Amino acid sequence: MDVFRATVVMTFRWILRDRVLHAILAVALLMILLVPALSTFSMRQVQELSITLSLSAISFVLLMVTVLLGASSVWRDIERRYLASVLTLPISRTVFLLGRFCGIACFIALCGVVLGAAAAVIISVSSAQYPSDIPIHWDKIGLALLADIAKYIMLASVGIFFSTVSTSFYFPFFASIGIYLAGSGSQEVYEYVSGQFGKEMGSVSVALFKAVYYLIPNFAAFDLKVPAIYGVPVLPAGLGLTFSYAVLYCAILLCVSSYTFSRRQFP
Amino acid sequence: MNAIDIRNLSKTYRTRKWGRVDALQDLTLSVGKGEVFGFLGPNGAGKSTTIKTLMGLISPSAGTAQMAGVPVGDARCRMKVGYLPENPAFYDFLTAREYLRFVAAMFGMSPQETQAATGKVLGLLELEGAADRPIRGFSKGMVQRLGLAQAMLHDPEIYVLDEPMSGLDPLGRALVKNIIRDLKQQGKTVFFSTHITADVEVVCDRVGVIVKGKLQTVNAVHELLAAGVVGYQVQVTGLSDFSGEGVEVTVRGGGILELQVPRELLSLTLEKLGSRGAEITLIEPNRQDLESFFLEVVAQGKK
Ligand SMILES: Nc1ncnc2c1ncn2[C@@H]1O[C@H](COP(=O)(O)OP(=O)(O)OP(=O)(O)O)[C@@H](O)[C@H]1O
Ligand SMILES: [Mg+2]
Repeated sequence: MDVFRATVVMTFRWILRDRVLHAILAVALLMILLVPALSTFSMRQVQELSITLSLSAISFVLLMVTVLLGASSVWRDIERRYLASVLTLPISRTVFLLGRFCGIACFIALCGVVLGAAAAVIISVSSAQYPSDIPIHWDKIGLALLADIAKYIMLASVGIFFSTVSTSFYFPFFASIGIYLAGSGSQEVYEYVSGQFGKEMGSVSVALFKAVYYLIPNFAAFDLKVPAIYGVPVLPAGLGLTFSYAVLYCAILLCVSSYTFSRRQFP
Repeated sequence: MNAIDIRNLSKTYRTRKWGRVDALQDLTLSVGKGEVFGFLGPNGAGKSTTIKTLMGLISPSAGTAQMAGVPVGDARCRMKVGYLPENPAFYDFLTAREYLRFVAAMFGMSPQETQAATGKVLGLLELEGAADRPIRGFSKGMVQRLGLAQAMLHDPEIYVLDEPMSGLDPLGRALVKNIIRDLKQQGKTVFFSTHITADVEVVCDRVGVIVKGKLQTVNAVHELLAAGVVGYQVQVTGLSDFSGEGVEVTVRGGGILELQVPRELLSLTLEKLGSRGAEITLIEPNRQDLESFFLEVVAQGKK
């Protein structure tokens, strides 16, 4: 347990002392500070727009952070030859990878919470200036943020998986971005293929589509922006399913990553 | 039980374009408990490959290895081992002290133990002044010292050091040699690689020479040194002249005679000198040093 905790702490220190990340977070705060100015352009739906913009800004920043951390998690250790000194300590590679993942996941969550708090201030300020007919649904906004965090933690596990099989930074980096895009759109494509259009395609290609659909993470369910903005109710059952899915997906991917990482050679 | 047991170890690297490098071929080697073993070989001989296999960084193509009776590749086998990698690099966003704390946690050391051990190794390697600076700003030699510090932190039974003297200044080299001698005094096992024969001569009990992935010879260092003695230089006073078959005589200032005596004639010559009332002031062996032995073995191995 000590070993695991020390790895998480070490990962956390690595992230907190990374200059690139400082820059990204500075940009993030700037973006959120710009939200009131931007949302007043709409004149009428200032509150709705400020919520949308804040959540989108946070989402974008979390995407950057996730992809960067996931892709560099193992790559940097190989590139700088840190692994020769760390993996030769009596830590198993699985625990090391798990520590890395948890450190990154914690940081993504922390980032989300901090930026969320900043956004909450901004949203209150801008909605106070131009009050709306709809009350602000703080609970739903929080939920949307939480779902977003879960989504990016899933994406981080994807990034870590890619980085355990690759020696470069670019492959895991772009592959996670690709998976993110595919995962965000896969639900629509799935419904499209399942419908009328699918009948016109060959059954083989439909099967292939479906296989890919099940393989890549499905991010559509994690988009709770609309309920957050308009207060549309969210079904608890669906929510439970979504979060269980995230946990299961991460678990499976971490098992696979641990397998590939444990068999890897570090000459 | 041996500290290190290597049985028929082979490693073939696959390179791009279907290439193969036989970095290790059928290496069998044991290092006893409490022994200081020097692993000597020219560049690219396979020293680091052997050590990386021991530390579980790479898996062998064939053969097995154990440390402290536990197969390598099992993380527990490294519990009792301190390892210094070749050209080490440590998380450079941490300070030396933070890194040592991290290492201590990996070995499950308590906070009190960690505190005491950290102070001790930092002092031993003369790193106290830099302990709270980020490793990013360390010089090559400082990183090497930190590498030794982290290997010694948990007071392991077995030390595996890949070129411990590399990158160090003469003071640092002397320090490391002293540390290895101390470790031997404490009954620790030290397995270290080097290509410098002088280092082996002063600290090792046994030396193995590896060339092109094959272990050529394993010898006790004192035997090598004894076997390497080709003759003696003897200085005497109280004699104006001396002659003997095979003995070369030079007259030095201050009434000193210097004799070069072949190895097998030493006792006889000493007797003669004694009977003539000479006072012997110095006897020094003339030896073929380890370096030439090493060069010979390497030349043999390359054939
Ligand atoms: N990752 C690798 N891929 C292919 N070949 C390798 C790899 N690492 C080492 N080799 C080859 O294996 C052989 C042994 O290398 P090794 O690093 O064990 O040598 P060494 O004895 O430690 O040398 P040095 O004294 O230079 O450190 C060399 O021929 C080297 O080219
Ligand atoms: Mg080497």
